[in-house]
Amino acid sequence: MVEAAPRSIRAATALYLAAVLVFVLGPLVVVAGVSFTGGEYIAFPPQGLSLRWYEAILTSSVYVGAAWTSLKLAVVVTISATVLGAGAAIALHRGRLPATSALSALFLSPLVLPSIIFALGLLTLWSSLVGRTSFYALWLGHTVIAVPYVIRTALAVLSTSDKFLEEAARTMGAGPWKAILHVVIPQALPGIAAGAFFAFNISFDEAIVSLFLRSPEITTLPIQIYTQLEFSPDPSIAAVSTLMIGLTVLLIFVIDRVLGIQKVAG
Amino acid sequence: MNRLRNDLLISAPGLLLLVFGFLIPVAGILVLGVRDADGAWTSAHLVRFLTDPFYLGIGWRTIKLSLLITAICVVAGVPLAYIMARGGPRLRLWLIVCITLPLMTSVVVRTFGWMVVLGRGGLVPHALNMLGLANRNYTLMHTETAIVAGMVQVLFPFMVLSILGVVQRIDSRLEEAARVMGCSLVQSLRLVVLPLAVPGIVAGSLLVFTLSASYFITPNLLGGSRLPVLASSIYETATKTLDWQFAAAQSIILLIGVLMLLIPQAKMTRRTHG
Amino acid sequence: MTAAVHLDNVTKSFAGVQIIKGISLSIQKGEFVSLLGPSGCGKTTLLRIIAGLEEATSGSIHIGGTDSTRLPPEQRDIAMVFQSYALLPHLTVLENVMFPLRMRKLGNRAEQRERAEAALKLVQLSHLAQRRPRQLSGGQQQRVAVARAIVSSPQVLLLDEPLSNLDARLRESMQEELIQLHRQTGLTTVFVTHDQEEALSLSDRVVLLNAGLIEQEGIPDELYVAPHSRFAASFMGSTNLLEVHLEPSGDGARALLPAGQSLVLGGAPHKRGKATVMVRQEDVRLAPASAGAAATATLVTRIFLGSRTRYVLDLDGHMIRCLAPADQHFDVGEKVSVLIQPDRIRVLAD
Repeated sequence: MVEAAPRSIRAATALYLAAVLVFVLGPLVVVAGVSFTGGEYIAFPPQGLSLRWYEAILTSSVYVGAAWTSLKLAVVVTISATVLGAGAAIALHRGRLPATSALSALFLSPLVLPSIIFALGLLTLWSSLVGRTSFYALWLGHTVIAVPYVIRTALAVLSTSDKFLEEAARTMGAGPWKAILHVVIPQALPGIAAGAFFAFNISFDEAIVSLFLRSPEITTLPIQIYTQLEFSPDPSIAAVSTLMIGLTVLLIFVIDRVLGIQKVAG
Repeated sequence: MNRLRNDLLISAPGLLLLVFGFLIPVAGILVLGVRDADGAWTSAHLVRFLTDPFYLGIGWRTIKLSLLITAICVVAGVPLAYIMARGGPRLRLWLIVCITLPLMTSVVVRTFGWMVVLGRGGLVPHALNMLGLANRNYTLMHTETAIVAGMVQVLFPFMVLSILGVVQRIDSRLEEAARVMGCSLVQSLRLVVLPLAVPGIVAGSLLVFTLSASYFITPNLLGGSRLPVLASSIYETATKTLDWQFAAAQSIILLIGVLMLLIPQAKMTRRTHG
Repeated sequence: MTAAVHLDNVTKSFAGVQIIKGISLSIQKGEFVSLLGPSGCGKTTLLRIIAGLEEATSGSIHIGGTDSTRLPPEQRDIAMVFQSYALLPHLTVLENVMFPLRMRKLGNRAEQRERAEAALKLVQLSHLAQRRPRQLSGGQQQRVAVARAIVSSPQVLLLDEPLSNLDARLRESMQEELIQLHRQTGLTTVFVTHDQEEALSLSDRVVLLNAGLIEQEGIPDELYVAPHSRFAASFMGSTNLLEVHLEPSGDGARALLPAGQSLVLGGAPHKRGKATVMVRQEDVRLAPASAGAAATATLVTRIFLGSRTRYVLDLDGHMIRCLAPADQHFDVGEKVSVLIQPDRIRVLAD
């Protein structure tokens, strides 16, 4: 089919693809570029190359503190989202729960419903029930958002697995819990692992719920960036952002290693 | 047997989290928006939104921008989806990774990128200046154009993946048959592929529209406080003026709008995916 | 002596459909029993009920004298070979074979290892112990599945069409191996298959199922030579079924064919009247028309099978098939004599 396309169309296609990629990836490249500037102000192309802004953020207690908070949060969110999501995915996969499709929809709903509504709801509910928002509020909020991602990747892997393995394990003397431990979880592991990395990435980058639940004691990296963007942007933001982009790219590679991007994107 | 009980046990924590951590907060908002300070039912907040021209303007801007964003995503997305569907697995994979990468970065990071590109002295104003279309101090920041650009970048993959799914299922032999019957490439795309891709386009549009109405960070940073959209208004009302009930009322309006589009979208996707 | 497996009036209904309508069966220790039947007859469901993977709607299942009706599979002393082998992909071959011993807590780790290695030796796969299932061929995976099933010396070994995914030649050699294994281990075996030849060659006893009920059971010879019903007759072997009119004649009877010819039946006296008779294709002997036999037929089709030839003949309006040795040759359109030994024609009870 592609061979049947006239030369002009192929040239137009190449141009179009280039344009799309520039549009989609350009701003990220620009951010990286700005981060290496030697000057005082945000400028692209950068004025001279230097690592001064990286130095600046790595020595800034504000940034380091925010990064630390984000990291701690991401780790606990990964754990909670992975455990809860894996359990839900396994149960959903077996299809024995009542109203499985309704439950599936429910579990995946945070993906489609505007997170701003959820963020506001969490803020109001937490404030009226518990009081001041805190690390735990963020943990809860991030976990809710991350769980659907874990469920999605775990289900994707489970749906391709051999459905007789569990039965075989039962005939070999494994009770229901042992069967899950020895057969179902190893089967789903690539999907669960990929989901875990997704969860980490989502929590680390998350801004919406974090901004609603923010308080002076809790500043995550995205909150810190947002605040600076609102008031006094300087190239240090670019440095932080570039590191965050780097982290995301790294996580994508890891997910590909563990699961294969095809399974996630397909 | 007790297998059902086991399934319930392992999914219970997740379920509890969803119910108490998600459904109840959202339900809480729906209730909060229609109650007054004393706890009685009232539609005052909703009425306030629907009668104040300022807020109606916000609603209108949200709809207008979302329509524009959706339209751009359609026009730019259909060709890309086709190229990805017919272009072979490696190309498809790389393109998927490239267009979803922005989605996986933090919203503040990529919005910052747009601020640099569109702001004073940034690439785009600079280019316009070179072309003689703008003066040296021109900035695209704090314009609706900026909002649209930033949102299209991140919502684009949703549209493309939606159309991609449908186009991949179109038998390429239909196009070959059309070519053999005398159509040019463009004609075969217009007469064969496009009509069959419509379900994917519609589903993608509904999704993109609802998502574009739900984001506030990008419009806030790129549009500024003078160009609020519904989501940024909710944020302002909740965190600056602390009028939670009014914020909740606005959320209800947003949710109604979103559900009106999501429900047909879900039905469509279920039909096309069998 | 307590039966190894005893099913008492087992029924199974699902979504309003009765899959198994009432089956009672006793399997003795060390027996190799095949559950044979067409698809949908309930044989796999019955096997799964014995395994505990499905619950009987009514009736009871006793395994080794214990009432296992309500027991889940892991508490039954069974082992099963699945049609798709179901090897655990994340474990090596040896770990797969050790798995039942681990789960059922039989012996310490060293003993488990020894037993697993012994089982692998029995199926001649010792050299593949450290491989993963995906590195094995279909036939090798199947042998691992069998090793894994015999390693725990279960009361009952259950096999669900384990050879159906193999090609013909591999299937033949695996059948021989299974017979060997059964002799060596002496395990009570229940084998599900839709292939009647397979059932006949492997089993001590064949249970023929039809639409959820036992059609006939007995030793292979019985089912082959003396099927009770039309269904049994046509399912086992390649058979001709003829509608004839019986007339007593001498010690036996004559089966009258439409155009006047007749075949002689021996054996016990038969009633006069309409009946269905069966003749195995290999019992229809042909000779040149000049041989002057009681019945003649016209040859319609000739199908060369290599070691034998199948002929389709028009015998008085009935189409019958015959399996003839390769050295006989007749042409299409030729008139041939049909010779059938009287004791090879059976009247069906139907």
